[in-house]
Amino acid sequence: MTAQRPINDGSSEFCGNPFSTRYTQPGRITPMDRFGRPLNLHGILASLAELGGTAAIQGPHGSGKTTLLEHLACALQHRGVCVVRVRLRGMSDALKALLAIAQSPPGGMVCIDSWEQMGRLLSSLARGLAWVRGCHVLVTSHRVTGLPLLIDCQTSHPLLVAIVRQLPSHEIWHGQRIAAADVEEAFEQCGGNMRESLYHLYDRFERHGREVPDMPVMPAVSIVPLRSMKFMKPFGIFFAPRYPSAT
Amino acid sequence: MNDAAATTNGDMKGLARVSRAIAAASPALAGATASPRVVLQFDHTSRIYQPHESLGVRYRIEGIDDEKVRAVERSAVWYTEGKGEEDLEAHFFERLFGQDAVATAVPDGSFAIVLPTSPLSYEGVIVKVRWCVRVRIFFEGGKDFVSEHVFEVGQIPPARNRREPLA
Amino acid sequence: MKLPRFFGKKRGHRRTGSQAWGSFGEGLFYAVLLVSGFVFGGLVLSGTVAYSPTDPDTVVLQHGYDWWMWLLTLLLPGALVAFGGSGVMRVIRVWGKSEEHRAASMGLSELLDTMGQAAQDAPGHPGVPTCENLVNSPGTILRYRLPLESAENWTLIGFGLFALLWNAFVLVLAVGAGLDLLSGKTDWILFMVLVPFVAVGIGGIVVFVWTFVLATAVGPTQLEISDHPLVPGGSYDVLLGQAGTGRFRTLEVFLEVEELATFRQGTDTRTERLVVWRERVKEWHDVELAPGGRFESHFMIDIPADAMHSFVSKHNSVHWRIVLRGLSESRPAFTRIFPLVVFPLSVASVRPPVHSAWQVSQ
Repeated sequence: MTAQRPINDGSSEFCGNPFSTRYTQPGRITPMDRFGRPLNLHGILASLAELGGTAAIQGPHGSGKTTLLEHLACALQHRGVCVVRVRLRGMSDALKALLAIAQSPPGGMVCIDSWEQMGRLLSSLARGLAWVRGCHVLVTSHRVTGLPLLIDCQTSHPLLVAIVRQLPSHEIWHGQRIAAADVEEAFEQCGGNMRESLYHLYDRFERHGREVPDMPVMPAVSIVPLRSMKFMKPFGIFFAPRYPSAT
Repeated sequence: MNDAAATTNGDMKGLARVSRAIAAASPALAGATASPRVVLQFDHTSRIYQPHESLGVRYRIEGIDDEKVRAVERSAVWYTEGKGEEDLEAHFFERLFGQDAVATAVPDGSFAIVLPTSPLSYEGVIVKVRWCVRVRIFFEGGKDFVSEHVFEVGQIPPARNRREPLA
Repeated sequence: MKLPRFFGKKRGHRRTGSQAWGSFGEGLFYAVLLVSGFVFGGLVLSGTVAYSPTDPDTVVLQHGYDWWMWLLTLLLPGALVAFGGSGVMRVIRVWGKSEEHRAASMGLSELLDTMGQAAQDAPGHPGVPTCENLVNSPGTILRYRLPLESAENWTLIGFGLFALLWNAFVLVLAVGAGLDLLSGKTDWILFMVLVPFVAVGIGGIVVFVWTFVLATAVGPTQLEISDHPLVPGGSYDVLLGQAGTGRFRTLEVFLEVEELATFRQGTDTRTERLVVWRERVKEWHDVELAPGGRFESHFMIDIPADAMHSFVSKHNSVHWRIVLRGLSESRPAFTRIFPLVVFPLSVASVRPPVHSAWQVSQ
């Protein structure tokens, strides 16, 4: 039994799994609408200007909000806007966001990922602070924020197909290691979550290439992140298994 | 394994087997010249090396105007690929700037390094370890272009291909 | 100004704008934080100083602050200085540097990391974990005794600490409420707050005790090995010792390779594990242990000649381990994990070692 050995022999420009984080992380994929058509970023930036510069990108988990935010942030930087990026993992990061707004120059842009982590009180404070400072805030959120809505990210099967088409050497492996039916199945199984769908297709790509049974006896385990168990957070270090060198 | 590269008599076959740049030129350069690309050649045509072995590389940068190149960086790095966040570490790194130094590396250049003991190239399931040579060109105006060429260290077979599959 | 090309298939890494400009905004932000911290801290410090009314040249403290008040007051400017300073240093370190250049240069943060703890990589073996913690415990018969690594131990410690700290806090509240009661004051709000706190505290103790019983239901397991670190192609002697009482329906020893990948998923950071290779080394059935007794067995493990070495980086790793799985009657199944480190086979080695202390002693 011989598994495919990826060799970059010059006949192909790519070796490896196209669904790796390397090729699918935010910033690597062109943002698209729910029909799989590339978004007109210039048009979106014009809409943002019309809304006064402060707005929200809304959508469910894995709908491409962070990807779009990253592209818009880059576009704004190219236009000479002072951009600060803040990623919120919990309410403890709210101070970071507030400080970023407090120190942003007038006309600057603070891009905040996962705005819903701020909570109602802190988000109101942040909005007020941004108004006082004369800077703008562009956020992503899973739910309604009260900020003007810039774009509502929705997912669909055509969108996933379009994303898959963007991945490296699509013309080589599509139809062989990943079929159209696999993409559809991934979308259905993951409930429309693009990120989960891409992870699902990663596993499928690996399995097809190695000719191994579908399910190992020891299935992959995703350790529940301790941050979601907020009261356990102080004890997080005691739950992390220590390998020869802890990461 | 120490195959000499086939370069005599303008033999393009050997050069044609090298990996192409996976980056395209920036739009700023499109008007002046064709998109830049790096044609790179390893001294082992198989591109498989062993730890502690010497790796020699020759390259040619095409599609640029020499006078606009501000600096060149050449490196040999290993990186991870797979489901996890990408990790990267440089085993060899060299930055050439200034007219004289850049002239030695553009449009043709070469370098040789000794590979370390580890990590070996690994084709895992959710974790892969890859080695590559990178040539990065910095142009006047702040733009840069990078070309990546993968090679292998060691000959570890892909994971999940062993004597006892999971059962 | 040329607009970036966002559409079309993206191949590789193309930068269409200056990284320096992007970093400038970030650097400016942190620099302002740093300056704010110094200004604020200076204002706080200078505001507590006043001049003596009788002698304008003499500076005295008009307001006497306790030490904890000082700490609290200086906490915010201290945080601004630390946050801003570290951000500025990071921006300066990566300013105008490519990804490879950043990976090649050692910044202050990496230097501080290496000073604060043992180096992650084994000396001379980049990307290979060090095995210092695995060779600091000598075995009784074979050379090394391997440490045990099981999630259940960490869970036990976690629950124990939680129960201890929570109940200590509850005790403080209870003592306060009791003292109030003795002095004739009845604080009903405090009593109402105490009820759920006490309930959680009792629950914590129960969970800890139950976890402790489960963890100790099966006796301790010891594993010794003839050499460490291991190398591909090598054969090694292993001694297994399992204590306990009662009957084990099955005991199995596996040699496994596990991959770990850490990635961001929305606001969470998740780690996925996958065992990519497993070999059943030994298996026993119906093992009877008398009280005070101990089951011992000697066997060999072989590392395949073409095996991947142990690997570790910030977000990804490949681990080797010996796993004992047991099923005993009237107790839940248990798993004991013993980590191993496999080094890459050195070019200088002619033949991988075959370590068998048992054969030598005979």
